[in-house]
Amino acid sequence: MAHAAMIEIDSVSKTFETKQGKGHLALTDISLSVKDGEFVSILGPSGCGKSTLLYIVGGFVAPTTGSTTVNGHLVTGPGPDRGPVFQEFALFPWKTVLGNVRYGLDQAGVPAAEAEKRARELIAMVHLSGYESFYPKELSGGMKQRVALARTLAYRPNILLMDEPFGALDAHTRTRLQNDLLDIWERDRKTVLFVTHGVDEAVFLSDRVAVMTRSPGRIKETISIDLPRPRDRATLLLDRRYQDYVVGIERLMEDPQEEAP
Amino acid sequence: MGRVATLPGVPPLIACLALLVAWEFAARVLGISGLPPASDALAQLPAILSDPESLLNIAASLKRMAIGFALALVAAVPIGLMMGRSRTVAAFFNPLLMSIYPVPKAALMPIIMLWLGIGDASKTLVIFLGVSLPVIYHSYQGSRAVEEKILWSAAAMGMRAPARLFRIVLPAALPEILVGCRTGLVLALITMVTSEMIARQAGVGNILFNALDMAQYDTVYAMIVVIGVLGYVLDVAFERLRLHLVGWAAPTHDIVVGTT
Repeated sequence: MAHAAMIEIDSVSKTFETKQGKGHLALTDISLSVKDGEFVSILGPSGCGKSTLLYIVGGFVAPTTGSTTVNGHLVTGPGPDRGPVFQEFALFPWKTVLGNVRYGLDQAGVPAAEAEKRARELIAMVHLSGYESFYPKELSGGMKQRVALARTLAYRPNILLMDEPFGALDAHTRTRLQNDLLDIWERDRKTVLFVTHGVDEAVFLSDRVAVMTRSPGRIKETISIDLPRPRDRATLLLDRRYQDYVVGIERLMEDPQEEAP
Repeated sequence: MGRVATLPGVPPLIACLALLVAWEFAARVLGISGLPPASDALAQLPAILSDPESLLNIAASLKRMAIGFALALVAAVPIGLMMGRSRTVAAFFNPLLMSIYPVPKAALMPIIMLWLGIGDASKTLVIFLGVSLPVIYHSYQGSRAVEEKILWSAAAMGMRAPARLFRIVLPAALPEILVGCRTGLVLALITMVTSEMIARQAGVGNILFNALDMAQYDTVYAMIVVIGVLGYVLDVAFERLRLHLVGWAAPTHDIVVGTT
């Protein structure tokens, strides 16, 4: 099972109704296969529908045509096998850090003592020990996203669906969270679908990068990132192959034809 | 002086005293028989508050108010929350609510009395109507503003839509719902007094308007003070409860932003 397709996106397209009653084609004919344990980034400019694609895999949005299967099952709605992490954090503001992280465990009927133990382990894993009783409003953006990641990892989804998770953070915080995410990922190698508009972020994190173009959104090219793991940022930045990937993908995204509104 | 005036509790005390002094002077200068000086009105307070019958009347009023208020919350909050999450439900209730909202609920009292008599049922129903609308409106606004991704996060944990309404939308909208409840509390007090003014039988309003009929103006003003103090005490108690319930949403100024 190690290399079976975990996510199979088959000819998915999505049309949104605009307020004028016209259809806006957001995604067209997207097919993508993600292997079990693979880290795949969906890279594209804003408005290319990359987040919509992630929501379709999550079961939050239904595709207009095409289908998605996860672990062999057709996606018809959200489920705990696919854990989302959103750019907006989407924490439960009335719950403390501990309350947020254990929420999915309580929902799944995990005994209280066990849920608390696991939640505390995850809080430690995202380096937030000591903040268990803080409310989301008392935390910085980076800390909120750590809580959101711990909350999702807590209920052990097979797949992490990350929607520009570090997009709202400052550069320094973003770098730290990228490093921490890779550390965490190295432990259990979950399947990750990671939406971003940052080329260096996508290359640094991913096994494969799917480059999307705008209007209508489609996958232009999928590039395998053949860089050794575990990856260290300082080493990688000096690595010629890393630089080539970044420059190559940036060229791919700079296609002048895509600049037209 | 400057330092004393900024102590907590001092500014409202100064405001109250200033009002009483102005009232006292106005009454003495104008000499209208319907406006007794503050000192005369306040002198009636010990008599009213030591009379078991008036205390029973006040208690009966508060009991009706509490029942009307509680029933309104039970009905209004779920309706408001569902309106906020479903356009169909909103389209169904909205015209109805918008046409009922401006009608003074106490004006319905005579009609309701025809159905339910002059007893507790009519008065409680009027209080219920007065409280329901602001609570529905604010629950609706609060529910509508709930971030979709919070709901998605819960859905991904396996929570179904009906459970999400009470376990996610309700707590997320609670700060806004409580704004409606605070308005509702004031309206409960107003409708309580006016319902008793129209259906004279018992209660705070009954004491007040009977005294007015008998030209006992000292008592009238003393009762107005009692109602005012009741309103103030209820509001302070409600604010305490509100802070306890939604302290997690209160704005703070010591947020550390931009650090991990």
